[in-house]
Amino acid sequence: MGTPISTPYIACPDCDGIYTIPRVPEGERVICPRCRAQLLTRRPHFVNHAAALVLAAALFFILANVFPFMTLTADYRENDMVLAGSVTGLERQGFLVLAGMVGMFMLAMPGFVIAAMLYVLLPLQRGLRLRWAFPLCRAMSAARRWNMVEVYLLGALVSLLKLGKLATLTLGVSFWAFVGLIVCLASAVTIIDQSELWRKLQEARL
Amino acid sequence: MTFDPATAAARGLARCHSCGRVEPVDSRLCPVCATPLHLRKPASLERTVALTLGAALLYVPANLLPVLHIESTLKGSQQNTILSGVIQFWRDGDYPVALIIFAASVVIPILKVLAIIALCVAVRSGRSPRTMTRLYRLTEYIGRWSMVDVFVVAILVGVVQLGSVLRIDPGEGALAFAGVVVLTMLAAHSFDPRLIWDATASGRGQTGQADRETAGVGGAPNSMRHA
Repeated sequence: MGTPISTPYIACPDCDGIYTIPRVPEGERVICPRCRAQLLTRRPHFVNHAAALVLAAALFFILANVFPFMTLTADYRENDMVLAGSVTGLERQGFLVLAGMVGMFMLAMPGFVIAAMLYVLLPLQRGLRLRWAFPLCRAMSAARRWNMVEVYLLGALVSLLKLGKLATLTLGVSFWAFVGLIVCLASAVTIIDQSELWRKLQEARL
Repeated sequence: MTFDPATAAARGLARCHSCGRVEPVDSRLCPVCATPLHLRKPASLERTVALTLGAALLYVPANLLPVLHIESTLKGSQQNTILSGVIQFWRDGDYPVALIIFAASVVIPILKVLAIIALCVAVRSGRSPRTMTRLYRLTEYIGRWSMVDVFVVAILVGVVQLGSVLRIDPGEGALAFAGVVVLTMLAAHSFDPRLIWDATASGRGQTGQADRETAGVGGAPNSMRHA
């Protein structure tokens, strides 16, 4: 790459204060003295740790999509719903836009974030960068905001209580896999320091 | 006393929106990730205000139209708007659920719109920038949780199908409400908290100083200790 590896400055995303990049001991954070935003966290092995967490999240994601999420028992009949059932149900009723939104927030976005992270992190563990790593990484940081798996989980709990009086809902394997997915993905996201990730990506061989 | 460092903008440096690289704004595109460079998010206030207005307008049908129709042989048929759903949970004694839905669907969207208005005002006044920045971070974080009610509708509709005892249909209100949440999230995201700091007295002072310093990109910025 023709560009210098990194400029000697960091700027605060929240208040635009500019600083020379300090030497940070491992495991410590740099906080903007003006607005208290977190600027840098130096976790020496974050690529390995995040890769492991995202792999686990990917497995949970598959499990969550294969097994039933909830089972409804009413009138001596059982009815399984898979995770995608909350999208197809809306679609069947003609609420296409709403189905699209729900599917995007609880299936497509988490799926994309997991896939993109694997694509970026696994090669990076060996100091490599694949072809579309930069644009993917950029798309990933935009997509993260629209990944609402934890909100969906709260919605599932509320639904349990809401239907409690009319029918019986039981939780399936997929529900617990979904919980695992949320935990793994959220820890992976918090472990990754964006600026460190970009710095490592620039240093990686194509 | 707040610590007053120089700002990147005052030195003609822009922080890349995606990768955080600090680069002279004249470069137009970030050399690392090819994101267009801007000193501040473009048309930040205009976009924020427009999106917030849209959200506030859509909030009316979101509350008036039903989000859910429930037909059950046990309890008869009923239509739930957001508020009537909350009231029903409360009457049934499900206080925690009533509070969750009330907080997520009523309190958060209203507070969020108020917070965004307060932030836009702060850009004019430049008062208490630290508190306002904290408010901005909170607003960005909590917005997504309003989606709970929409997901509840989606799950109920998905799990209850062709049952003879129970039938659940989505209502138009759910779509309007999902629109409100998306618009407020976009509004919060288009807001640029750095504008608040630009409006503080020191920010103004520094921008004045900036004109002289723009050429000297390499001028010594602040050094700092790690926390």
